[in-house]
Parts: sequence; structure tokens; C-alpha cells
Amino acid sequence: MQLDLIDFTKRFGNTTVIENMSLSVHSGEMIALLGPSGCGKSTTLFAICGIHRIDEGRLLFGGTDVAHLPSQSRNVGVVFQNYALYPHMTVAENIAFPLKVQKMNRIDREKLVRKYAALVHIEALLERRPAQLSGGQQQRVALARALVRQPDFLLLDEPLANLDAKLRLEMRSEIRRLQQETGLTAILVTHDQVEAMSMCDRIALMNGGRIVQYDTPTAMYAAPEDQFVAGFLGNPPISFLSGKGLGLAAPGVTQYGIRPEAFGPQFGEGVSGRITFVETQGREDLFDVQLPTGEILRSIQPAGSGITPGTTVDWGLAHDQLLRFDQDGTRL
Amino acid sequence: MRRVNWLGLAFLSPALVMVALFFLLPVVLTGFFAFTNMSTATGVTGGEYLLNTATLRSLADDGLPKDMLEKLASGGYRVDAEGLAALAAATTAATAAEMDRLHGGAEFAERRDMERALKDLRDNAIRKTRERKAAADLFKRSILNERFADEAQFAAALAETGIAPTHAAEITAGAYTGWAWTTENVSLLFALPSTLRYAANTALYVTLTLAFSVGFGLFLAITTFYLPKGQATTFRAIWFLPRILPPVLYVMMWRWFTWDTGFLATFSGYFGMSPKNWMLDTSYHAWTAVVLINGFVGSSMGMIIFSSAIRAIPTSMLLASEVDGASRWQQVRWIILPQLSWPILFITCYQTLSLLTSFEYILLATDGGPGRSTEVWSLAAYHTALNNYGGNLEYGLGAAFALVLVVMGLLASLLYFRLFNFKRLITTPLIEG
Ligand SMILES: Nc1ncnc2c1ncn2[C@@H]1O[C@H](COP(=O)(O)OP(=O)(O)O)[C@@H](O)[C@H]1O
Ligand SMILES: [Mg+2]
Repeated sequence: MQLDLIDFTKRFGNTTVIENMSLSVHSGEMIALLGPSGCGKSTTLFAICGIHRIDEGRLLFGGTDVAHLPSQSRNVGVVFQNYALYPHMTVAENIAFPLKVQKMNRIDREKLVRKYAALVHIEALLERRPAQLSGGQQQRVALARALVRQPDFLLLDEPLANLDAKLRLEMRSEIRRLQQETGLTAILVTHDQVEAMSMCDRIALMNGGRIVQYDTPTAMYAAPEDQFVAGFLGNPPISFLSGKGLGLAAPGVTQYGIRPEAFGPQFGEGVSGRITFVETQGREDLFDVQLPTGEILRSIQPAGSGITPGTTVDWGLAHDQLLRFDQDGTRL
Repeated sequence: MRRVNWLGLAFLSPALVMVALFFLLPVVLTGFFAFTNMSTATGVTGGEYLLNTATLRSLADDGLPKDMLEKLASGGYRVDAEGLAALAAATTAATAAEMDRLHGGAEFAERRDMERALKDLRDNAIRKTRERKAAADLFKRSILNERFADEAQFAAALAETGIAPTHAAEITAGAYTGWAWTTENVSLLFALPSTLRYAANTALYVTLTLAFSVGFGLFLAITTFYLPKGQATTFRAIWFLPRILPPVLYVMMWRWFTWDTGFLATFSGYFGMSPKNWMLDTSYHAWTAVVLINGFVGSSMGMIIFSSAIRAIPTSMLLASEVDGASRWQQVRWIILPQLSWPILFITCYQTLSLLTSFEYILLATDGGPGRSTEVWSLAAYHTALNNYGGNLEYGLGAAFALVLVVMGLLASLLYFRLFNFKRLITTPLIEG
């Protein structure tokens, strides 16, 4: 189902947290609301599911305005950051809860619970209580609970934030698989760009209550609209330099953005500096190169070069990957 | 190591003294009093031995043979050294000497015979009737109305009356004016029909008040939870008033409210009803008042506990239930109430104990009336032991009443401790895996 948020404004008392925001999600698409902490991602999500009132603007579910419906009648499934499982109910009762409040009969209820428990691989845990589950298992229960009512939309608020690194990887592909298997339209809130890029069809990058850019991960990475987007995406992060140290100059350009993979010996020579820091990442090494101007350029190289800090290098730039920004930070 | 222990004990000792003095001692004393027949009549210190007409009557009730009673009552006259000495002092030494010669050691059952003996003295006959009567009294040797400081003296006097030793013990016990050990209080408790009534009243009182205070406390906690913060605080403060008001003042307001010139009577007067005391006119009204008065106090306590328990439920859980489609009622029923089971259990246990033993609100409101319809066990204990209209305060019986409460309280506490520990065991959270 298509979701349209049009000119959405949200205030808490006198503070306007979100102003005139518009967002469209196509049917069957999974998008990420990505942005730094406090930029209004959860607020947007809570407005969509009806927890927060929409102060101004419209919210269309498949073309119907639902802005004034209470959350009970919106048919969205939400996975909260802390999962918000009901501690006094078993896993089965937790999953069945959205059906129980609809007064669905027990036989149908149990059938659906089993189906969705199987979908998230927790059939064996149905009689346990949330306190007896690991974080990853709790997350699967929360997913099943959100899915069991066959919602129009699946909303996920930082679903991976409370998991350890290994589980996070596992659940990342798990959530994407579920979304694709069920064909649900989904919105993922996250502050982690890797999560957003790896899981979603499109990313809405937010900053200060505003969507800065809304695009596919590849397009956004390759063609960021401004310096904020360029800086937010990419790990290790991009380096911003004035042209002077690089021997570059162009009218109107105040900053150049160079990603670590666009600087290195494979691009010839031309930029020399001293290695100040080497970080070994296993498959790759990350170098900090200090230019004579004092600016730092990052470079990522296959491991095993044997270059140590203090070495002076003369490496080249991939000129076709250079990003140019004007004094407002807009990319030229 | 050892010194640390002693130091700890030293720091604890004031608390230990307090515990012993204010917690342990009352219980021990209650147990002690309960097995005595102490009352206003016996006093709480030791007593003397005294036979009087009242004792004789109760001995008669206990089935002492009639001839013995008469023997005790009539006493008799004996010409003994003591009497002769008194006679010598009252008349002359010669009179006494003659009396001794003629009748020394003689006993007379009847006053008539004693007087004749005095009249018939040959040399020193006492002719004036009044003097003779007075002289006869000097030889009167009745056990009646004479106080004996200890049992040995009483036993000696009793032996002199010629009472058969088989009944001596019974009479001695009856004559004792001090308190004595007895198990009668306990058997009396089981025998008196009023006891059953008090027990039933107590059960009714505890059940109704508890149900009201838990139910109403829950209602207040849940409704104020959904109110805006400022309003909720105001409401809670208002409902907390009964708890912090001095009981006398609080109950006075209730009495004013229900008096025959009070609010209810005045108000119903506008509808043509004749004024009456709405609290005490029927036992239904009295019970309603008792339950409401105690229930409001209890529910304000429940409200505070339940409110904080509700606020301890993570907001996201409540939001999740709303998103899951739960209406407000379903949210209360399926999410909030189940998570309050622990505080509800706590309040129930706590209130049961305090309701069993507290009677001050009933005392101030109905004083157990009308009749004895709202007399609960603890109030009965108080009335029996400390505030009896008859005037004779039966400390022993009152203590027996109280002892039953102590025993019930101890049993209930033990049960609760088990319950609470058990609960803690099953809610031990697992470590995140
Ligand atoms: N209930 C609230 N009352 C007042 N301010 C709030 C409330 N919820 C969020 N905010 C503010 O709105 C901003 C956005 O919050 P949020 O949407 O939670 O950020 P995030 O993007 O980290 O999820 C923050 O500055 C936060 O302080
Ligand atoms: Mg958030």
C-alpha cells in the first residue's frame, strides 16, 4: 500500500520538531528514515502509527487520509526499539494479542500465531515468557507480533540498536527477508547508515526535522546533494578539504569531498603527505595521510602494503569520484 | 572480626530494646493475661481471702452442699482465750474468770445459747441486754466477712468452722479475691454465642472493606493515570486526605454528615423524609458507614501504591498495545491489571492485617452499634478489657480476645512471607543471552 505524508508538521509545546515534511513510500517498498539522534525520526514514525497527533499536514494510507484516526484503527505493525513485549504473557500470547483485541476466535488465532512464529523461526519458544528470551529472540517475537495482524505497513524504530554486532548482522538480513516475503511496505528508523544502505530500497536522510535527500542508497552515495549527506554516508567517512592542498581550484568550489577509496597509489601520483595513522581492518588497511597544509586525507587499501606511520607517500586521486561543494555546502 | 560483630550489636541495641519493649512485650503480656481471670474485681496484683454473702452465693451456684453453706454463714460462738481476754477488758476480770471456769472451751451454735450462758453466770451475770449482746459478739467466731492475708490463715479458720476437708479447696478458691491462672477465658470464647457474632462481623468487615479499598483504589489509580498530569495530582491529593486527616476529625465529619441534624437528614428533609441518624438507624446503614469510612482510608493508600506501579510500566508497552489495536478498556484489562497483581497482593495482605486489628474508626463512628451489629473482634477485645459499661473490666477475657488476633496475625504473616518469597523466586529475571 502506498503511503503519503504531505506537509507534515509536529510541535511539542512551542518547539517545532518537524516542519512541512513530505514523504512518499511506494507499495512493497522498504525505506529508511536515517539521521543523527534527535532529528525527528521516531517522531515521524509515531505520527504515522498514530501515537503522536499530526499538528498539520495529511497522512494518506493508500490514498485515504488517516491523520485523524486513532492508532487502534490504522492497521500498522510497529516494532519498538526495546521491543515492548508484554512481560506477563507468553510468547504465543504476545503474538496473539493484536488478534485477541480484535476478538478473533481462538482456533484462527492459534493458526496465525503458529504461522508467524514459523516465519520468524521461534516455534520452539511459544510457551516461554519474554524474560526467558535472548535479545534476538525477543526481537523476533516483536516482529511476529507486528506482522500477525497483516498490517498495511510495518514500522521499525531502531530495531537493531539493542543487539550485539553478530546478532545485528543476522537480524538485518532477517528483517529484509521478512519484508520481501510478506511484500509489506516498511519504514525503518535508524541512525546507522550501514543498516539503512544494506536493508532498504530508498533512504530518506533527515537532519533537524527535515528530509535532506530521498534516494536509493547507491545514488545517494554517489551523488549526495550536500556536504551533510556526503559526510553522513560512507564508512570510513569522507574527507573534506579545501583545494589548496590538493592543487585543485575551480570557480565557486570551496570544499572537495574525497572518499577513502578515491585516494591511493592505484590512481597515480600528485598528492604527497605523511602517514600519521594506520588502522588494520583485516581485509583492508585505513591510512590517515597528513598533507603539507595540515589537512588529513583518508585512504583505504588492500591489507599487506607494509606501510608504517611516518612514511611519506605520493598518491593520486580518482578525479571522476571527486565531490565539489560550494560555500553553502551544496554539491556542484 | 569479633569486635566488628559486637560493635554492630551495640549499634543495634537501641533498636533491639525498642523491638522487645514495643513489639515483643505486648504480645507476651497478652498471652499472659489471657490465661488469668484478671478483672477490676481481682486487680492485677495479688489478693486476700474473704468469704462474704456474694462468695457464698456463687459457691451455692457451684453446688456446695446446703449444710456447709449454713455452717459457713452462721459461724458460731466459742469461748476461747481470745474471747475471754476481750471480755475481761469489756467487763471485769472476775467475769472473765467465771466464764472460763464454767464454759471454757465450750461452743454454741446459736446466739441464744451464747447469751444465756452469759446471763446465767452465778456471780457476775450480765443483766443488761445490750451489754450481754455486745459480750456475746466477743465470742463470735464466724469466718464470714473476715479478711485473711494468706492461704494458711484462711485454711486454719476454715478448719475451725468444721467444714469437711473435701470441700476446703473449692471454698478457698472461691474466697480468693486476687487473680488466678485459668483457661476459662479460652473455653468461654468458644462457648459464648456473641463470640461467633464478632467473628462473623470481623469477616464481613475485613472482606467488604478490603474489596472496597482495593477496588476503589484501583479505580482511582487507573482513572487518574489517564488524566493530564496536573489534574491527576490534584485528584490524588484530594483522595489522599482521609489518610492524613486525624481519625477523630475524619470520623466527626462522617458523623456530622449522617447525624439526625446533619447533611443527609437535612437534605432528605427537603424530600419530606423525617430526620433520622443515617448512620445508626439500621445495621445496614451502620455497616455501609463502617465500610465506607475504612474503605476510603484504605483506598487512598491503595491508590498511591497502584498509581506508582502503573507509572512503572514502560510507556512503550502501553503504546505498543494501542498500536496493536487495544481499546482503553482492553489496555486496562490485559496490560495494566495483570502487571498490578503484585501490588494488589501486597495491599490485600497488608490491609487484611491492619483491618483485623484496627478498630479506631468503628469505635469513633458506631462504637459497635446499633446493638452489637458492627462490633468486630478487636473492638470486642477493647470493650471487654478496657471499656465495659458494666464497670467490671475483664482484662483476662479481653486479652484472650486479643490473643486470637495475635495468633491469626502471626499465621497470616508467615503465610505472606512465604507468598512474597515465592513471588520473588519466580520473577528472577534471566540474564540476557
Ligand atoms: N514527547 C516529547 N515532548 C517534547 N519533545 C520531544 C518529545 N519527543 C521527542 N521530542 C523532541 O523531538 C526531537 C526529535 O525526537 P525523536 O523523534 O525522538 O528523535 P530521533 O530522531 O532520535 O528518533 C528531539 O529533540 C526530542 O527532544
Ligand atoms: Mg528515536
